[in-house]
Amino acid sequence: MNTFYAVNLLVYAGVDIIACLALNLQFGVSGIVNFSFIVFQAVGAYTAAVLSMPPDTANGGFQHYIGGYQLPFPIPWLGGAIAGGLLAIPVGFVVLRKLRSDYQAIALLVLSVIANAVITNADKFLGGAAGIALVPPPLSDRIDPNTESYQYLYVGITAVCVVIALVVANRIVNSPYGRSLRAMRERELAAVAIGKNPVQLKMTIFIVGGLIAGLSGAILVGFIQVWAPSVWLYPETIILFAAIIVGGRGNNIGAILGALLVPVGFEEITRFLNNSPSIANLGPPGLIPALQWVAIGLLIIGFLWFRPDGVRPESRRVFEGAPVREDR
Amino acid sequence: MLAATELAPTAERPMLVASDIHRHFEGLHAVDGVSIDVPAGKITGLIGPNGAGKSTLLAVLAGTLPATSGTIVFDGKDVTGSPAYKRARHGLVRTFQLPSEFARLTVLENLLVAAPKNRGDSLIGALRGRGFWIEDERRLVQQARVLLKRFGMSARESDYAGTMSGGQKRLIEIMRALMLGPRLLLLDEPMSGVHPKIVLEIQHYLQDLRSEGLTILMVEHELHMVERLCDTVVVMAQGKVIGSGTMSSLRRQREIVDAYLVG
Repeated sequence: MNTFYAVNLLVYAGVDIIACLALNLQFGVSGIVNFSFIVFQAVGAYTAAVLSMPPDTANGGFQHYIGGYQLPFPIPWLGGAIAGGLLAIPVGFVVLRKLRSDYQAIALLVLSVIANAVITNADKFLGGAAGIALVPPPLSDRIDPNTESYQYLYVGITAVCVVIALVVANRIVNSPYGRSLRAMRERELAAVAIGKNPVQLKMTIFIVGGLIAGLSGAILVGFIQVWAPSVWLYPETIILFAAIIVGGRGNNIGAILGALLVPVGFEEITRFLNNSPSIANLGPPGLIPALQWVAIGLLIIGFLWFRPDGVRPESRRVFEGAPVREDR
Repeated sequence: MLAATELAPTAERPMLVASDIHRHFEGLHAVDGVSIDVPAGKITGLIGPNGAGKSTLLAVLAGTLPATSGTIVFDGKDVTGSPAYKRARHGLVRTFQLPSEFARLTVLENLLVAAPKNRGDSLIGALRGRGFWIEDERRLVQQARVLLKRFGMSARESDYAGTMSGGQKRLIEIMRALMLGPRLLLLDEPMSGVHPKIVLEIQHYLQDLRSEGLTILMVEHELHMVERLCDTVVVMAQGKVIGSGTMSSLRRQREIVDAYLVG
């Protein structure tokens, strides 16, 4: 395994872990079926890109985008996170206040499709379908990004962000606030009847999830240095949902496991299959990538059917001094 | 925002006054001009045939369904426009006709989640970490364990609420409501689907709560239970109040007997 491949795998793992922790807070803990999750990651990526890039007149003006402020690291990443959180405010305000949870899911899915279509067709705004290229990697003005040490530095910075996201997620999940979110997930009307304001609970966790998703997008765009509508199509959200379902809804460790098993592990294995000539030549062109989606769907159905709580189910809270039962 | 007035409830002054409450669903008048007073420190029964509008009225009083028109004054304050969660925080707490436990929370967590005044029960409080709220949590765990002991469920505190029997779920709901420190408890058929042994337990608990000064408005179909428990009874039929008084006085009113009390 060469260094580039290892670094690539580790950064993607970090990004997916951060994204899954955010989606777990929204979906696993709070029951918000955010089918537009990838939009929040995309907003973070676009924001980090235009904050770190030079104006679009640079490089011969071959691409068009707004902004281009050339701000130093970590401002673009912070900007990406904040953009994700800010986007959650109007979206949450429209979707989370009045709609029942199944309609929320539909509205958020539609938002994801519309957002992608708008950005694809507004080619002067964020590069249209071609997207944005030549996004400067963080600290590239000080360290050569093509060196091995820079690659490891990137993994290190990503790891720090993973730790920050995990600390935030753990503090929320294990707190009384997290308990209120879980109560709302279980039975919203009963939560209202004991004094919980579901709109406030949903809005706050939606914004926190948006912030973390935005950060994951910023990390990813700094690494791959390009961003386009084709990398944030709505099915990308489904992969993250699959990760949460496989890993274990409501459990942060489950979310991490899910990120490693589905977006990283599962996709890598199927990518290797696609690279094998004997398999890649089976059937018509595009069969193997299409089967990859089928496999993701089957994985979700299989887990929901046979192991709905995932590999690492949500843990039962036993408080200090609880009576010990002999039958357990 | 709740508008304060000068009057506090007493034995003579009602804890809740609902005036001319209407709740319409399209053309259906589920609650049609109901006015009731719920006296403080008493158990008031709300009875009537299926479809009389009892549960709808309870939901309107709790705020989980908005009234089409009418006013609700709770503890001297007009709460008509207040959302349900604010009414609950002010002590107007309801339970549901069907068990409504938080299934994947433990029994103890079901109680803790209802407890007010926990500094960790906000995003900022949670992000500040365990040290910021752990003292509140310990205090509330003790408070919840006292309730669990009283209701005979201490041994089940770490079990998921969803695994409890129907009667135990009812007890969890009542304990959960008590964690809020309610002044008026709205109970929607607390005995329905419950084992007769637990029905007797619930009856004793409710009598104890009344003797401690808690006001209760209770929808119940089991008339013998209503007779044993309730100080006054309100009878509804077709969305309207058709009578009120003690159970024995109601049995003497022909139109009420015809509408509901036959047998």
